[in-house]
Amino acid sequence: MEILDKLQILSGAARYDASCASSGSRREGSSSGIGNTSQGGICHSWADDGRCISLLKILLSNDCIYDCAYCVNRATNPIPRASFSAREVVELTMEFYRRNYIEGLFLSSAVMQSPDQTMERMVGVAELLRTEERFGGYIHLKIIPGSSSALVRKAGLYADRISVNIELPSSESLKRLAPQKQKQAILEPMSLIGRQIRESFLERKTSRRAPRFAPAGQSTQMIIGASPESDFQILKLSQGLYRKMNLKRVYYSAFVPVNEDNRLPVLASPPLLREHRLYQADWLMRFYGFSAEEILSDDAPSLDETFDPKTSWALRHPEFFPVEINRADYAVLLRVPGIGVTSARRIVAARRFSVITPEGLKKIGVVMKRAKYFITCSGRPFEKIDRQPAMLKSTLLLGDGGDTAVNPPPKQLVLPGIFT
Amino acid sequence: MSRYLYDGTAEGLLSAAARIIAEASDPEKAILVERENTLFEDGVFIGTDAVAAETLFNRLRQEAPDAAHTFYYFILAEKEGMETSLLHYLSMALRYGNRVNGNLADSAVRDVVTVSRKAQRELHRMKGLVRFEKLRDGAYLARMEPDHNILQPLAGHFSRRLRAEDWFIYDVRRRTAARWHSGTLQLGTIEQFTAPALSEEEMRIQALWQAFFKTIAIPDRKNPRLQKSNMPMKYWKYLTEKQGE
Repeated sequence: MEILDKLQILSGAARYDASCASSGSRREGSSSGIGNTSQGGICHSWADDGRCISLLKILLSNDCIYDCAYCVNRATNPIPRASFSAREVVELTMEFYRRNYIEGLFLSSAVMQSPDQTMERMVGVAELLRTEERFGGYIHLKIIPGSSSALVRKAGLYADRISVNIELPSSESLKRLAPQKQKQAILEPMSLIGRQIRESFLERKTSRRAPRFAPAGQSTQMIIGASPESDFQILKLSQGLYRKMNLKRVYYSAFVPVNEDNRLPVLASPPLLREHRLYQADWLMRFYGFSAEEILSDDAPSLDETFDPKTSWALRHPEFFPVEINRADYAVLLRVPGIGVTSARRIVAARRFSVITPEGLKKIGVVMKRAKYFITCSGRPFEKIDRQPAMLKSTLLLGDGGDTAVNPPPKQLVLPGIFT
Repeated sequence: MSRYLYDGTAEGLLSAAARIIAEASDPEKAILVERENTLFEDGVFIGTDAVAAETLFNRLRQEAPDAAHTFYYFILAEKEGMETSLLHYLSMALRYGNRVNGNLADSAVRDVVTVSRKAQRELHRMKGLVRFEKLRDGAYLARMEPDHNILQPLAGHFSRRLRAEDWFIYDVRRRTAARWHSGTLQLGTIEQFTAPALSEEEMRIQALWQAFFKTIAIPDRKNPRLQKSNMPMKYWKYLTEKQGE
């Protein structure tokens, strides 16, 4: 098979993986080698679906022995199969990198003969790149659940980021939709990676020569909408992963129905709005000091489709507002709808020079059409505003304060009887 | 209010700023514009003084490195008619140090920071969007037409990244070029540009990249608007993956 045909099959099979980040690692290029990494990451293109392309994202093989219900590569699917040789992946990576198409390689794979055999071949590609080609660019390796800890350790030494996909938000769903994958086989390498990252971090504090282990950290991904878990369950899971396993990122991937299977829900279209709301809530947990329990509860376990999660929280907590721009702490400013991390920082910096006026606030970059309902400036409210939550809700909806991207939300059509 | 004139060069601008900050009674109220050489132009002309310019820039680098950084990219933005804002900004930078960039309620600071940030943003964007093509002699060539004059810092980025290769980056709009050859970087202008022949394997690699670009998008999630807002069409001209569209 020509390398072009393989590339088409194996990039098409990899496109459902959400992660494309190339950030979080600072690797200096060596004088004889090629490539370095950039702390903030670099996007090299944007695909027709609008997602950033930063890495050559491919599978080593799509020839899978597993039969996961949601996966396009499952064993019983009648699709063309292909596998790259290590040399082919190395050539593609190097030629693309020299032309500045990519920041590096994202390598995943179907399970070929066994987890260990697959993982060994993937690590082999990274080893070739780092040692023979002296490649200093970004490498993201997917860990195959069930592969030995020795291979996981080796992967972490060659890669900038490694990730184990959690796939589904609960072990019951995993059992039902991915019967060959065990929860323990996923969580064990995750905690091993977490420990190794911490160890290497501590060792490097005392010795610069200590090896780096996955300097860009570990991430994971789960499919949203293929199984019945609530948003609250999902957020609590992510919160646990961030707090206990020290993950850098959790990716949410709206379920795209690629197979017909009576274990799967029937969707009119992928639940993109739900995915978007989960990312917003995820951001609130990572950068805005919110806990999952503040965003949702057992009584209200789903994210609001009309309002972003921060506005929803604000509407439920009228006692917290209005916030005084010229006095409130950074953490308090962060809770105001329309004020993000950047504008909160700018407000704190600008206050040291002079009192902030409503005019100045606009220029700092605060989204006034949303923020104005929740703030005062030197004690004065912005408009005569009825702050009763019910009134506020309809003002935000009717006026210009709502989410700008309110398309009719893709509804999830669940066939009765499947999830009982 | 005092009005000053300078010769229109970056060095002249710094020289004038140095003099005004040192001698004027209230530099943050002074006006500085480029000389137009008309007979009745009103204002005091300050000529270029390389030593004064360098002294000011070095002082800035020591006392307010963030402001020096902002200033560097402001100059690369080649924005005309903002000398007065820059003068006020520099004067404040020497007074407040790095904190000056936080004073966004001040219009001069805001103007300078905004323009500078635009140049920095385009530099970051071009680090991703520049495309090299392999030439017959084995060297690589990239062409681009950025809005801001970012060739120098961009070439710096690639001199750390593609150290072992020989390459050129050509700014078609400004007719300037950077050349990395056996470990040294040169910048210069090019009067006449003729596109050199590509290496034999080049089209094969480009076809591979184009195929990858097409298949990596999820068909159910097509979103051309998002694509264009992240990657404006003005950059498509030199993008390998957008040829023939």
